[in-house]
Amino acid sequence: MFFPFYARRLPDSHFLAVSRSGDYVFLGEEDLHKLTTAPQELELDRLAELQSKFFLGSPTRQGSLRLLASKLLAKRETILNGPSLHLIVLTLQCAHTCRYCQVSRSLGSLGHSMEPATLAAACEMIFESPSKSITVEFQGGDTLLRFDLIKFAIEKITERNLQEKRHLRFVVSSTLHQLDERMCDFFKQHNVYLSTSIDGPARLHNKNRPTPTRDSYERTINGINMARDLISPDVVSALMTTTRDSLLIPEEIVDEYVHLGFREIFLRPLSVYGFARRNFEHLGYSLSEFSLFYERAFEHILQINREGGDFREVMASVFLNKILSPFDGGFVDLQSPTGAGLAALAYNYDGFVYPSDEARMLAEMGDTSFRLGAIGETLDALLNSEVQQNLIRASTSPRIPGCDQCAYNSYCGPDPISAKNQAGDIFAAVHLTDHCRRNMWLFDFLFMKLHQQEKWFLDLAFQWANPTPEREFCCA
Amino acid sequence: MRKLPVKTHGIPLRGVQRVISLALLANEWESGLQFMVLVDSIGDAGILEQLVDGGLKNIVVCVPYHLDWHSHIMPTVACDTRALELHDVVVLNLEKQELLVVYRNSDMHHAIQLTNRCNSFCLMCSQPPTTHDDQWLIDEALLVAAHINDSPSAIGLSGGEPLLLGPRLREVIDAYATRLPSTRIEILTNGRLLADEVLATHLLTGISDKVSWLVPLYGHADFLHDFVVQSVGAFEQTIGGLLTLQSYGQAIQLRIVLIEPTLRVLPELCRFIGRNLPFVREVALMGCEPIGFALANRDACKTDLADWHAELIEAANALRRANVPYIFMNTPLCALPQSLWAHAHQSISDWKRSFREECSICVVKTNCSGLFSWHNHNWTPTVIKAIDGKACNEEVH
Ligand code: SF4
Ligand code: SF4
Repeated sequence: MFFPFYARRLPDSHFLAVSRSGDYVFLGEEDLHKLTTAPQELELDRLAELQSKFFLGSPTRQGSLRLLASKLLAKRETILNGPSLHLIVLTLQCAHTCRYCQVSRSLGSLGHSMEPATLAAACEMIFESPSKSITVEFQGGDTLLRFDLIKFAIEKITERNLQEKRHLRFVVSSTLHQLDERMCDFFKQHNVYLSTSIDGPARLHNKNRPTPTRDSYERTINGINMARDLISPDVVSALMTTTRDSLLIPEEIVDEYVHLGFREIFLRPLSVYGFARRNFEHLGYSLSEFSLFYERAFEHILQINREGGDFREVMASVFLNKILSPFDGGFVDLQSPTGAGLAALAYNYDGFVYPSDEARMLAEMGDTSFRLGAIGETLDALLNSEVQQNLIRASTSPRIPGCDQCAYNSYCGPDPISAKNQAGDIFAAVHLTDHCRRNMWLFDFLFMKLHQQEKWFLDLAFQWANPTPEREFCCA
Repeated sequence: MRKLPVKTHGIPLRGVQRVISLALLANEWESGLQFMVLVDSIGDAGILEQLVDGGLKNIVVCVPYHLDWHSHIMPTVACDTRALELHDVVVLNLEKQELLVVYRNSDMHHAIQLTNRCNSFCLMCSQPPTTHDDQWLIDEALLVAAHINDSPSAIGLSGGEPLLLGPRLREVIDAYATRLPSTRIEILTNGRLLADEVLATHLLTGISDKVSWLVPLYGHADFLHDFVVQSVGAFEQTIGGLLTLQSYGQAIQLRIVLIEPTLRVLPELCRFIGRNLPFVREVALMGCEPIGFALANRDACKTDLADWHAELIEAANALRRANVPYIFMNTPLCALPQSLWAHAHQSISDWKRSFREECSICVVKTNCSGLFSWHNHNWTPTVIKAIDGKACNEEVH
């Protein structure tokens, strides 16, 4: 008896089949046919392999069925254990006028920061999550402009955690322009990680992220150096956003990261929110343009590793984690149902809770349909809200037309929030969404790499696939 | 197990004893235990006899053959006493006039056999099972625990299949855990009966955290594993048992004996372990002992590991990639590719271990497991060939 699975012909015309457990095989058309019609005719080694990968089974095989059930449960750990990533959007104030920025407001603008009483309520609410490990990430705007609020929240959460004893982690997401010694002292004392943005070499970064003084890059670098000196050498991680100007210089961008002493890069495509949407002609690009850029950068990173370097690409690591590892890396964006809400919550300065960073940005654009409720309501109420239930319905991949037949549905699922942004409907036809097209392309790309069976690449792929709890996957 | 011919006199029953000297007796005597006191002079024997005469009950005297000593009141064992060490725990088999050393502190490896019965019939079983009722072995194992005088770093509880003891296995485990609080207790089992929830709950609830489970797995699909253990349904039960152990947070070592049917599928089996059983503490890849059923199933069991280096390397790669630690046991270094030497353990118990003439000029002998002594009469894991310093360096470059 065969279990449900879906096969896909890769662009290199080989067949890939993925079972419900997420195990995969490459196989010829003939074996694929036998598998569904006459498995007993398969060669014994093939039969054993397909059985051990949960393509074939029988209800009498009790041990294997238990194994399958426990594997499926492990895959869902991130969404079953309660929200673990808690974003607090402290302020929209920012000195930059970034070309793709989402939402920020100028320094002078009032009413775009969180009220202390609201912040205090958010700090309490976080602990309603049953999750044993909790990451609190402060977002802006530019967060360090409101160091007072960061300090207030971290102290409050730390104190409550004396009783709660969760595994606690803080991340402050910032340009680091305002970083000073006093802040560093505080961050060191409370084990706070810093996340900043570097788009590439100075000229690209400064073009993307203009400030009145045109020295955004230099000031961020100063901040990174100060943090490394005063806190610890690996306290800072960086994120990049790919714009049109990035497309031609993938190697240079990677080299910039290596040169700055980072051990990884997250080659993120532009999320088309906020101002980026209006600026799309200047900043945007098609998936095929992005994939060319990505593939060049990827090859360059492989070369760096081949020469003995230790440098990884985060997006590939996340996908490889899904494909190769029995332990879920906890990446919020690649869950089914979506991790938005179930694994992550965003407490916005406006006093409302949203299921993700993207959702609160949409709210800034006027679409507040993703509000789960107000800060101060119970977590139960938020997760049982109609909004959340719809998000779950719209992202459970085996039940979504398109996803239900997709070979990648045990690794992936639709992203209803970006679907809403792109097509105005959380139930938008999945194959037309950027999220789906991009994911399918990257899965194809990585599977073709894996199929080449190059020993050296397999070693690296498994290394990248291992979950690293200290890595922060969310967006800045 | 070491066996020693003996002549006994005045001993009524098979029994467990702790070997001891006259000097130590005063300190260690306990009423519930049996002592075998080593004596090598008529004078000392006389002193002991007076003690026994005075009412000391639980004493056997052990004398060398050459000591011409007879006593009417004191049970006596005559043997080659040089073969015994202080604090050995021994069992006297009166019918066969044999003394078995069941525990010796100076050994690197300790194992206590709990039963001869088994529910599998592995192709290469080194100790072919019997079907007699041997419950008395359980009582003896409990006595052995009481007679051990120190806490070794680890002790194995083996069979046969220990789970056939049912709930009594827990009694034995608890006895060892209480008596030897700092000792790791390793249970060698096929895990099949742990698929039974009632038994599993009884055995595992509140069990000592010193316990770990050594469970063999010979294939990634039922028909592969079931063939090697010659029992239909074993694979599914063992997988169920492993999941049960995991749910109780138990430490597990998976064991794969390297014979033709397992070597053939070794890389895929190890990939299966990496994907599905990543919670195991380690995987032991073990050379086959040419003894027991292995001799009868020579076709499947007699292998030259040199023919399987590609599979061994691929299997090791799979485990390394999945972050599952692995070790090689009972594999002399000259049978392994050099890249795997660092994972080879000196696993063969002292009294079973031997080397060949070639080994005397081998530069890696001090790191080598050597061979089971019974390899001398049968096949070896590969053609034993001394490693010379030059070859060693060449391979590195
Ligand atoms: S979103 Fe696209 S790639 Fe992902 S499971 Fe659905 S159909 Fe497949
Ligand atoms: S020659 Fe002897 S000592 Fe050397 S590796 Fe082989 S078995 Fe070991």
